[in-house]
Amino acid sequence: MPLTLFALSIALYVAGALASLVLPERAASRMTAVSGALGGVAGFAAALPVLLDGEPVTATLAGPFPFAHFIVRLDPLSALMVLTISLVSAAVAVFGAAYVEEEYASRGIGAMGFFMNLFIASMLLVVVCDNAMWFIVFFEAMSLTSYFLVVFEQDDEAVSAGWLYFLIAHAGAILVLIAFLLLFAVTGSLDFAAFRGAALPAPLATVVFLLAFFGFGAKAGMVPLHIWLPRAHPAAPSHASALLSGVMIKIGVFGIIKVSIDLLGATTVWWGVLVLVFGAVSSVLGVVWALAEHDIKRLLAYHSVENIGIILMGVGIGMIGIAAGQPALAALGLVAGLYHLLNHAVFKSLLFLGAGSVITRIQSKDMGRMGGLLHVMPWTALAFLIGALGICAVPPLNGFVSEWFTYQSLFLAALHGSSLLRLLAPLSAVMLGIASALAVMCFVKAFGVTFSGEPRSAPAAAATEVGWPMLSGMGLLAACCVAFGVGAPVIAPLMRDVATSLTGHRIEVASGLVVFPGDAGIGVLSTPLMAVLLLGLAFVPLVIVGLYAGRRPRPRIGAEVWACGYAPDAGMSVSASGFAEPIKVLFRPLYGVRSWTDARLEATRPWFAAIPAGAAWTEQLWDRWLLAPLGRGVQIAGERMQVLQGGDFRIYCLYIVAALIVLLAAAVG
Amino acid sequence: MPNFLQLALAIAQGAALLLLAPIVSGFCRVLRAKIHTRTGPPLLQDYRDILKLLKRQEVVPKGAGLIFRAMPFILMATLLLVAMSLPVLTFASPLSAIGNLFTFVYLLALVRFFFSLSGIDSGSSFAGIGASRETTMGALMEPVILLALFVAALLAGSTNLGQISASFGSLSGGLIAAEIAVMAAVAFAVFVEMGKVPYDMAEAEQELQEGPLTEYSGPGLALLKWSISLKQVVMATLLIGVFLPYGAAATPTVATLLWAALAFLIKLAVVFVVVALIENSSARNRFFMASRATWAGFGIATLALVFYLVGL
Repeated sequence: MPLTLFALSIALYVAGALASLVLPERAASRMTAVSGALGGVAGFAAALPVLLDGEPVTATLAGPFPFAHFIVRLDPLSALMVLTISLVSAAVAVFGAAYVEEEYASRGIGAMGFFMNLFIASMLLVVVCDNAMWFIVFFEAMSLTSYFLVVFEQDDEAVSAGWLYFLIAHAGAILVLIAFLLLFAVTGSLDFAAFRGAALPAPLATVVFLLAFFGFGAKAGMVPLHIWLPRAHPAAPSHASALLSGVMIKIGVFGIIKVSIDLLGATTVWWGVLVLVFGAVSSVLGVVWALAEHDIKRLLAYHSVENIGIILMGVGIGMIGIAAGQPALAALGLVAGLYHLLNHAVFKSLLFLGAGSVITRIQSKDMGRMGGLLHVMPWTALAFLIGALGICAVPPLNGFVSEWFTYQSLFLAALHGSSLLRLLAPLSAVMLGIASALAVMCFVKAFGVTFSGEPRSAPAAAATEVGWPMLSGMGLLAACCVAFGVGAPVIAPLMRDVATSLTGHRIEVASGLVVFPGDAGIGVLSTPLMAVLLLGLAFVPLVIVGLYAGRRPRPRIGAEVWACGYAPDAGMSVSASGFAEPIKVLFRPLYGVRSWTDARLEATRPWFAAIPAGAAWTEQLWDRWLLAPLGRGVQIAGERMQVLQGGDFRIYCLYIVAALIVLLAAAVG
Repeated sequence: MPNFLQLALAIAQGAALLLLAPIVSGFCRVLRAKIHTRTGPPLLQDYRDILKLLKRQEVVPKGAGLIFRAMPFILMATLLLVAMSLPVLTFASPLSAIGNLFTFVYLLALVRFFFSLSGIDSGSSFAGIGASRETTMGALMEPVILLALFVAALLAGSTNLGQISASFGSLSGGLIAAEIAVMAAVAFAVFVEMGKVPYDMAEAEQELQEGPLTEYSGPGLALLKWSISLKQVVMATLLIGVFLPYGAAATPTVATLLWAALAFLIKLAVVFVVVALIENSSARNRFFMASRATWAGFGIATLALVFYLVGL
């Protein structure tokens, strides 16, 4: 039954893709919305029973290739992924119908619907197929379809970002491919089932792990392989960004879990330590860079780097637990990582959809041109606020619960782990603390500069609320943010079941209305109690204010702000870059801020006391040290190779003859 | 989940701390006046200020939205929840499902989020800068308080504040050096979070017109003043209830609870006398100098971790 529903879901997406290619524009966008929403529901219905039962369902289809059967395996981990993808896709589909009609009318809606639907279908197929060849096929299909979404705008930035994305996605895929080929060389089969039982020599297992870790890490966008992410995600249309950031990068995490835990059995402790360290570093650097952005979509994209880091911290602890023979720790780490995976999918898609709604009104991604939207777009603002509170891990919303579990797994690791872990785990907790404190700063800025204060541009002043399809897409995800937080005692056991299927060890995480990390003595948390008390306690100040309500004049609304006697204007209020300036100063080394001299400035300096000059964006360390040398290296190598292409017709004939001789010699020899 | 008695104790201590907060801030003003050799206001002046503000008209700037209006209510409700979840009179948190260290730190983040956001929402440039500083201080201080509490939790073997309190109150003579370093780091973090000179960065009265408070007036300002005093009391309570729980009731009876209340009040007075001495003997500091002190605080917390690891 689950597999039938799953097949129905895939069929709906493929039908939607084909229909939107042939139908006229308006019908195409409607069709995409309907097929996307129905496909989401079908996928959800397929995944939920597997998640509740905990029993994998498999089916083998004879494929066209004798060496690679098409095997579908819906186990708890892939069911969780299917559920996440379906949930987000349904919300995005509902949002997208109105969004594309408004924003991309007569700019190829049909093609966009085609690639969107195929993109979702290939993501769904990647997580369920149980054969290495088909895995690579769908993995590549996913990269390719999303590439067309990234370059959809066809401007310079989109094409160049798309190119970078294309390169890194394929470099990652090649690493994964090599890892699978190594496993194939040992087992003689491409089925994951054969890989699971393979007895690999330790050095080979390590090589496979490292290849898969960096290959999938490039897809997940962890530091230092994240460079494509803050460029590709903002370039895509906003509803596609929601899928890219909300779901696709999780496939990278899924791949890491799949290969290192499911296939290789996480046999070595330092693999987990490596994942933990990369996660901790990603979490801090992602948010530090996000703070410097004033392009709202780039800011959100950098936060994906941060959150992937947080997820990897949980996964790392899980791997350490398995390798060190501490199944309770392993299960707890995986619960934390998987819970955050689900949560990040929900709130990051919500935030991208919110940003997309705002961008349709302002026609700019620069937060400096927004402002004051709280008055004119109240529902979008509320949805964005809920997403922001979720990502900042503000209790009692969903991000808080999963970060709480992450902290608890780090605590357990520090309490019972090896001496290395006793040092690393508290430091990772500190990194997580810094990351979430900076996330608070970043989203105070993002929400404040976008929605609060007074309008900073004419379009911001004239903006209107978006229509109900877009609001209902955001509303669904916002409701999930609240439900996955307050409903933690229901959600946590589901994550526990997935973790149990990976570790073979069952821990208790919830009873009644509280959740706890395996052992209630370590710590307990009750988000329902917290929500009820917070709502109840809000009546205390209401009563206090109500005491003198009768003796108080009515509020005077619409006063000017105090500006030391000058006439205030919107330009005086704090700007996006100004707000984050203290962090840019305090964490200067992490930004790679450079000072340079400009000849014109130098020439005019004698006449002015001081000339302030500032860059409009911060240059990333990686761009300067990793990407730029890489680009230069490729360019130099290319120039050297141009010698071959001399332009002389006779030389080319010579090449053909030489190639023939070499091939003949090879065939004969 | 809490039983009836625990819930009653939680509500009682929340209400008590709320009612106590204006006296404590009045006490600080009296101490400040004494140190200046002035007469100063009477002890109960802050109650009068709050009551007077409650009768005044509220003036709302034209850019301000719902966040600006709702913030004082969110602030007080959240701080009351924190006040209810700390161990005060006993060695256990009355609401153990909320009283653990990560929840404590993140509830403070909730406070910080809305406090800063209201600053931007008001549209005032001073409030915006105050908001920026508030969140920056949060980013600088959260690692200190988190690491210190984390090491305390490692010493106690549990992240529940109640268990940490019991472990620190037992005087069992475990890792003395680590315990002292933890306490020093927490005391430092508590002082910074109180927002007193020289760490009154966000609400800097002289340079930023009290930062996010700039545009508040009438009942909103009354609630805010009250909540800020409550936050100071809550931070002091963290230090007293979790790390200096001497005199707290091991078994809650009427007599032991009364003794515990008396002991708590004496400790609270001592803490605020020390705070007043530091506050009034230091000068205002440049904002960017604050990070040096917070790195020192982080150093102390790291020292606590090292002591814990080597078993001192």
